[in-house]
Parts: sequence; structure tokens; C-alpha cells
Amino acid sequence: MSERGDLRIVKFDNLVAIFNASLLWEYRSLLLRGLAYNFYVFAVAGALAISLGLSIAVLRLQPGWIARSIGSVYVEVFRNVPEYVLLIWVHFVLPLLITALLRSQVNFSPFVSAVLALGLAYGGYFTEAFRGGIQAVPRPHVEAARAIGMSGAMTLRRIILPQAIRHMLPEGMNLLVSLFKATTLVSLIEVPDLLYQVTIVVQQEMRPLPLYSGAAFIYFLLIFFISAAVDRLTQRWRVAWR
Amino acid sequence: MSTWQRVVFRNFDLFLSGLWVTAQICVIAFAVAIVLGMAACLVKLYVRPLRFAANLYIQFCRNTPIYVQLLWVNYVWPDVIGWPTSFFAAGWMALGLQSSGYLAETFRAGIEGVPRGHVEAARSLGMSRFQNFRRIVLPQALLVMASSIMNQFLVLAKSSTLVSVIAVPDLMYQALRLASKWFEPIEPLSFVAFVYIVVIFVLSHAMKRYADRLQSRYG
Amino acid sequence: MERTPPDSIPTAAPAVGSNEQAREREVVVKAVNLHKSFGDLEVLKGINLEVHFSDVVSVLGSSGSGKSTLLRCINYLERPTAGEIYISGVPMGFRLDSQGQRHSASQRTINHMRQNIGFVFQQFNVWPHMTVLENIMEAPVHVKGMTRAGARELALRMLERVNLLDKQDAYPARLSGGQTQRVAIARALAMEPKVMLFDEPTSALDPELIGEVLATMERLAEEGTTMIIVTHEIEFAHEASDRIIFLHDGRIEEEGPPEQVIDNPRSERCQQFFSRLKHRR
Repeated sequence: MSERGDLRIVKFDNLVAIFNASLLWEYRSLLLRGLAYNFYVFAVAGALAISLGLSIAVLRLQPGWIARSIGSVYVEVFRNVPEYVLLIWVHFVLPLLITALLRSQVNFSPFVSAVLALGLAYGGYFTEAFRGGIQAVPRPHVEAARAIGMSGAMTLRRIILPQAIRHMLPEGMNLLVSLFKATTLVSLIEVPDLLYQVTIVVQQEMRPLPLYSGAAFIYFLLIFFISAAVDRLTQRWRVAWR
Repeated sequence: MSTWQRVVFRNFDLFLSGLWVTAQICVIAFAVAIVLGMAACLVKLYVRPLRFAANLYIQFCRNTPIYVQLLWVNYVWPDVIGWPTSFFAAGWMALGLQSSGYLAETFRAGIEGVPRGHVEAARSLGMSRFQNFRRIVLPQALLVMASSIMNQFLVLAKSSTLVSVIAVPDLMYQALRLASKWFEPIEPLSFVAFVYIVVIFVLSHAMKRYADRLQSRYG
Repeated sequence: MERTPPDSIPTAAPAVGSNEQAREREVVVKAVNLHKSFGDLEVLKGINLEVHFSDVVSVLGSSGSGKSTLLRCINYLERPTAGEIYISGVPMGFRLDSQGQRHSASQRTINHMRQNIGFVFQQFNVWPHMTVLENIMEAPVHVKGMTRAGARELALRMLERVNLLDKQDAYPARLSGGQTQRVAIARALAMEPKVMLFDEPTSALDPELIGEVLATMERLAEEGTTMIIVTHEIEFAHEASDRIIFLHDGRIEEEGPPEQVIDNPRSERCQQFFSRLKHRR
């Protein structure tokens, strides 16, 4: 509590302290390595989420009710579970269950748990996005393909998917941005991402104000520009594909 | 006595209190989000000189990850403006901030989506701008935005699990505490995961049914 | 045309004294040298118009001739670029001070004057979040300050005039296009305006539904309502109007009774317009 430099409501000294970037600069290599981890988790989890999403979407559109039910259950479970809960569960509970099942010690590294949890959760969202995109492809196009003798798989690959992806691309890109934001959670299971490094530095330097504010600012800038780029791309596609 | 009984059933009251804290923080945060989001939206739409500031606020709230915002509100704000004074307040403030950004954009899309003709009809009958907004634009916008708003509540509910990290005794916090206290992560964590899934599932389906009913009634 | 002045038709304070004759000849809408441009495009190029009490005037012309713009200038949904509009002698959208200087009217004045002008849109614009009755009651209660009971009674009377009493508690989503448009007409009538403006009221309707709306409008005309109608329904215009105005390229090409303008037009463009339509029938 300082007596000088106190505006009545705002503690001015501390307000200024927020903008002190020297600490961030000092630890920049550490923080950058952390950020790299964010991207690393993002890339692998994203790949998993997209593959899962597409597969389960196709599953949900199968004629058989068993396949459809499995797909529905997957979506309902992984869309309705909070990501943090899933993360903790995958990291602490799942290994124990698998250990009991296989009767040999299984452990997940933080990275593996993070990728698995985020991949499963966002797979749920991607499933619905793909399903919407596939269903938006006009039925006549599909019927025409089957009529000239294309197999189901080939129809999917060459007729349905290209159009489906076109329909769901804006939503898909927004999901990816959302996934990137979610990678900040992985610091909670000790994946050495940017936020994790920041908390370490805070403990060492005992200067939370510039560090947490700096982290917020960095993430904000990064995601703002990525979002803006995605928005512009989406606009251009919408005009080009109309 | 099985682990289930020892860890979960005998501590049911703890889980209930955790659920109650979660419910409280979600409701308060969402109310804050609606107020802030509507304010930001109205400023962005109608107060020209402050448009940039409103937009900056909205972008900051939307593009900063919720966990980062939580840490920021909890650790930085008290040293600068002397508030929040409790972890609970930090929790709903951060959650409210994050959702207010999304809601502001939702409100804007809803308001701008009201057909111009309906506004012209109102003005043609002699209604003032304010009357028109309150009785014609806003109700119609709300109908359109209803499902987005409800969806945002669910997102907020899922994010609320993070407040356990700043020691707010919500449902997740209770699970983690019991897991570490009894060295038995499987039961409490699975139980809580199950509760969250079921509650959010039920809420999301109720909301969908309500949205469908609005759609059929008002077309 | 047969006309019986009903007791339910409201009239404004007479222009000169309480003389019946004076009231009959009151100029309800007057446009003087009206110009309207949208950017570089001039849509109205000097319109002069007088509509008297109880007149039914139909405005015809090809698309882009400025018909809708003219109507929208009258109730100031569009601001004229030049020229003036007078509603019962009161300037619309501007006022003159003691030195004769022109000033823009305040929003409140414009809102107030709009109460005297009923506007029916092509797209109906009936509000979906209110029932039929609530739609009609809305303006009387919130703009005129009527009590809910009084407004409700008024609304029911209006619904009867458009023949939709049984739909009072329905939501617009459940109504057909023709019914919705009649609700829109009732809503405009509920404010008891001096003049009713119709902007292509049947253009957005399926053919089978046009008849009921035209019938309602004919009934209003018979009751002595002052009406300015922009329409493509030539037969209706011929039947119901006292006067036809043919608009071409932002100017009044020809004006006169239906027998002249439609059946025996003097101007060449007018002849072309109606002959083309005759051949299509």
C-alpha cells in the first residue's frame, strides 16, 4: 500500500508497473519457447480433432442406427463436458483405468494428455461442423454421382467433401481459433506452454502485474490478428464462392 | 466400504455445496456479461465518438483466453484498483468479461438483423427512435439471438470450472480436493465429469426446445 | 363513384372555418417542386401535386419512375433534396421562422406529423413478436397515449373494417400474405390519419390473395378515405381512383381522370405503357 502516487481509486504506481515490459524482454527466449509449445499442442490436437470430426460425422450419417448412436453419444459426451474437466480426467484418471485394464503401468505425459483431451473435445465440435457441411450439399448432386455408378466412398471423396468443406470452412476456422485459445489450459497439467512459463517466472520474480498483463496482451494480439485474418479470408471466400 | 462410498457418497454434501457455488457464479457472471455486452454493443452502434473504445473492449474480451483473463483479473486488478477482494468475485468478473465480448457481437448482429422495413413501419406510425428500439427492434432481435445467447451461457458454464484454479470452492474444486485428500482421483473426478455432462446436456436440450418453440410461434 | 361519408372517418381540423364545402376541398397533401436524388441519380425531377380531402389518387408508371420515392418523401422516410411537402398546410420536415428562413424540423415534430399519415408497405412489415391486436394497438397506446382499453376497442373496430376480427389474437406468422397486409392497413388506420399512403400494397402477394386486399382498399375509398396509391393493378386503379397520375422518369407525364389517362392517354409514353399492358391481357 503506497501513500504517494495514489489516485483515489487507482493505485497509480501499480498501474504504471503493468506496462513495464523489461521483465518480459528479459525472459523472452523462455516465453517464446512456451509459445512454441502452444502451437505444437494446437497443431497436433487440431489434426486429431479434424480427423475425429470427419470420421464421426460420416459415422453419424450412416444408415445403420448403431453407427449413428455411437456418433451421437460421442458428440453429446465431448461437447457437453467442460474442457478443463476432460483435461484433468484424461491426465489423472485415464492412465489408471488403462493400467488396470492392461495390467501394466501406463502413464501419459502432459503433452499426450493435452493433445488427447483437446483433440477429443474439439473433435466433438468438428463433428457437428462437418455434419452440417455435408448435409448442406444438395441431395441431387449426390444422387447424380451414384446414378453414374460412383461408389459411396468415391462420392464422398470427390463430390460431397469438397462442397461440404466449402460450407463449413468459416465455422471450422473459428473452431481452430477457439482451439488455440484453449491450449492455454494445458499449463494446468504442466505442459510448458507460454502461460506455464509465465507462472514460473511470476513465482521467481514475484512481479505478477507486468507478467500476467503481458501474457494477456500477447495472447490478445496474437489471437486478434489470427481472427482478423480468418475473418478476411472468410469474407473473400464468401464473395468468390457465391 | 468401496472407494465410491468412501470418497463420493459420504461427501455428497460437499459436492452439493460445490454445485451451488458453480450455479451462483454462473448466474452472476452471465448477468454481468449481459449488462456489459449490451452496453458495449449500444455504444459501438450508437455513440460514434466512442466506437473505437467499445470495439477495443469487445475484441479484448473475445480474443483473450478465459484462463489468462482469470489470472489477470485475480492477480493484477486488486493491486491496481483494489478490487476484486475475493476469489469468488474475481471468478465471476473474469467469466463475465469473457462472455460480454461474445454477447456484444451477438447483440449487434441481432439488432442489425431486424428488417429495416419493420423500423420504417414504426417510424411511419410516429414512434420516436427510443420507442422504436425498445418495443420493435429489441424484442425481435432477442428472438433471433435467443439460441446464441443460451449457447453462450453453456460456454460460460463450462468455463466456470476454471475458477477452481483460483481456489473458488466450486464443483470441480471439491472433486480435486477430495481426489488429492484421499489419493483416489478416479471416483470423484469421474463423478463430477458425469454430473457436468448430464447437467449441460439437459440444459442444452431444454434450450434447444425453447428456441424451437420461439421459432414456430414467431416464425 | 358513390360516396357516403361515414361517421367513423376522422377528419382533421378544417382548414377554413367549419364549412362543409371548405372541408371537402381541403388540400391534405401538397408537393411543390419536389426533387430527390440518391447520390448522382436524380429520381424525382420536380413533382407538383395536390391531393384534396377524400381524393383517391393512383400513381402509375414503370419501375424506376420514382413512384415509391414520391410516397416515401411525403411521410419523410426520404428527405427531399429540394422542394416542399405540406400536410394540411403544415410543412413537413422543415419550418419557417419569422424571417422566412428555412430550418430543419426536429425529430419530435416529424414523429408528430407522421401520426397524420398512414403508410402501408409492400413488404407488410407487420411485427412478428406481437399478436394482430397488439400490432394495431401499439402506436395508439405508445405514441398517442391512449389507454389500453380505448386502444383495444379502436383496434377491434379497425379489424372489423378490414374483415379480420376473428384473427385478433393470432401471431402474424400464422396469417396468409393477404391477411397480413390487411392487418398492416388496419394498423395504419388505427392512428386515424388524414391520408393513407399505399406503396405497391399487393406486389408481394400471391395472385389469389391480391383480391382481398384490393377489396379492402375499395371499401376504404368508398368510405371517403383520402388515399394515394402506388400500384401496378391497372384495373383496380381505373375502378377505384378519382385521378390517375402517370409518372415517367421522375416527372408527371400525365394527370387526369382514369378514363383519360388509361383509356385515352394524350402523351405518347403513356400510350406505350398502357398499350403494352393491354396486349398482355
